[in-house]
Amino acid sequence: MTYFISGGAKNGKSTLAQDLTVTLSKGGKHYYVATMISTGSEDDDRIRRHIADRDGMGFETVECFRNIMDCLETADQEGVFLVDSVTALIQNSLFPVEKNYEMDLEAAHRCADELVEFAHTVRHAVFVSDYIYSDAEKYSENTEMYRKCLADIDRRLAKVCGTVIEVSAGQPIIHKGDLCI
Amino acid sequence: MILIIGGAYQGKLDFAKNAFDITDADVHTCGTGEIDFSKRCIYKIEEFTYGHPDPIGYFQTHREQWQDSILILQDIFCGVVPMGAETRAWRQKTGRLAQYLSKEATQVSRIFCGLEQRLK
Repeated sequence: MTYFISGGAKNGKSTLAQDLTVTLSKGGKHYYVATMISTGSEDDDRIRRHIADRDGMGFETVECFRNIMDCLETADQEGVFLVDSVTALIQNSLFPVEKNYEMDLEAAHRCADELVEFAHTVRHAVFVSDYIYSDAEKYSENTEMYRKCLADIDRRLAKVCGTVIEVSAGQPIIHKGDLCI
Repeated sequence: MILIIGGAYQGKLDFAKNAFDITDADVHTCGTGEIDFSKRCIYKIEEFTYGHPDPIGYFQTHREQWQDSILILQDIFCGVVPMGAETRAWRQKTGRLAQYLSKEATQVSRIFCGLEQRLK
């Protein structure tokens, strides 16, 4: 079963995604795909908070910053994968830190293609993304490209996933399929 | 009239094309000039509101012309209050127009990641 979860910041997407992953695993293997490249102490704090949140939930952590199919070199594809977040994977690919954040559109497209392939390959996956499309800001060309790339993969994942959920103030809004918990 | 709203890049026009059998020839894409209401589908209404001082008045004046139309408008209403006065006014005008059109509409659909959520 595949789930796509999006919504505004700090609305409970990760919490729902974690609960859903644990439920789907039925005590079996479940992986947390760590996607965030730390750029300093603020990120370190956030990562520590997320690790503490998952404490005792039985997750195995797999680090993956760009191409999600790489996870399957070490992880069992019959397990349940929590990919939190699609946003970070696209950001890491589109603006690679190693290349001084110079835009790499090809890498972002490859990252997106692999996410769709991953959704088709693994038994269970929960993808978390961020809804950043409803404001009146006029962004720079690079930021606009980032929004477009993320929206494109959001739409592709929403199409292939069995269930699509928007989270608002901790409450799920089901756009497609069923929430099993 | 059918109103389609949703955030940037969510697939609003693709939804309209699939659901209502619309082709590019049926679409008027708004700029700051007059709207061609002879087209079945009016797209990017938020671009029209940017340059117009009274979008609701304009739509009221032309009310008879869009009764059977499909109107598409981007949701630009969330986020921090914009710093620039012009952007602030744009957001307000567009929001008020969305409410007016939503009242007039027989159907309101919000598009989220390519999926329709029926609001009315």
